[in-house]
Amino acid sequence: MLPVPVAVVNHSLESEPMAVIKLKSYVFIVRGSDRLKFIDGLSTNKVEGDCCTVFTTRAAKVIDMVDVIDMGEFLALVGHEPFKNDVLEHMQKRILGQDIQIGDASQNNSVYLSTTDLEVGNSVTKRNTWRGWILVAPNSEKINETMDLEDFNEYRVMNMIPHQGYEITSNTHPLACGLGNLVHEAKGCYIGQEILVRMRSRGRQGKELVRLENPVENATTTGKTHSLAIVRRIS
Amino acid sequence: MDCNTCDVAPTVVLNKPDVVNVTLTITTKAKEMLDSAFDGDMSHALLVGVLSGGCSGYMYDLQIVESTDQDCQELTVDGFRVLVPNASSHLLDGIEIDYVDRLMGGGFKINNPNAASSCGCGESFS
Repeated sequence: MLPVPVAVVNHSLESEPMAVIKLKSYVFIVRGSDRLKFIDGLSTNKVEGDCCTVFTTRAAKVIDMVDVIDMGEFLALVGHEPFKNDVLEHMQKRILGQDIQIGDASQNNSVYLSTTDLEVGNSVTKRNTWRGWILVAPNSEKINETMDLEDFNEYRVMNMIPHQGYEITSNTHPLACGLGNLVHEAKGCYIGQEILVRMRSRGRQGKELVRLENPVENATTTGKTHSLAIVRRIS
Repeated sequence: MDCNTCDVAPTVVLNKPDVVNVTLTITTKAKEMLDSAFDGDMSHALLVGVLSGGCSGYMYDLQIVESTDQDCQELTVDGFRVLVPNASSHLLDGIEIDYVDRLMGGGFKINNPNAASSCGCGESFS
């Protein structure tokens, strides 16, 4: 029998003591007059400026979730380092004749996630996201990590935040791994849209991210008292 | 983020696809419709391109233009001047431009031997 979920995704962050963790991230710099239209056409959310969005395959499987940071003259795309080459390949095949240049600033910057609004220097770019505050800092700017992986996982379990490599993998689609909030309902076509729209409109999402009381079989992230798991939807 | 470091961020080396010398055909029905659209003004050209996006990743872009800023190869097919952007030539070699005459989903259609699949509406392909 399936365990009964104690919570499903709602992404309202519970209050937390201040904690910061360094994420394993890449930072792409996307320039050119077509930059917003280009990223918008390839991902699930409406990209008009700062946002978080998901690159998906034609089968609607996740390639990566990225934070889009609009820096005025360019966009910074912050994603999960192990997925970097897949994202690059996905984008470069579709540049065609568009005015797009991609740079890689991963070596020069470090990416952190803070659970609260941390005071940072001017050289640090800070954005409030649904996961917490994303900080992109040049390597010269030291930010102290105050949260280890175990704390981070506990924070994620408490707030039902999926993470790359755990819930967000190339085997899942965004609706199943807790990224439904990043799938815009009314935007135009993007790769994978047909499948995601059909799942939603027919109520056939299949699986969903849930938080369960321990012990949890096939947990994607195990916390102290609860865990995250992707289970078949109980209707 | 230190924008100075962004400015010197190394540009990613992109693997640009090779430019292909495109051949394409136009069906009789499509020719009739193009004749009507050009209305005898053969100074214009038919631009056949590909844009990124759509449910399947690529979308066809069909326009009648006087000229374009894009780097194109120019073909003459059945008396029509056809422009194909070099950036998307690898996706368009061997296509057939057809016209489907029906109330729903009618209009110009591209039959593309390079397309592994296309989306439900037929406007995008992968």
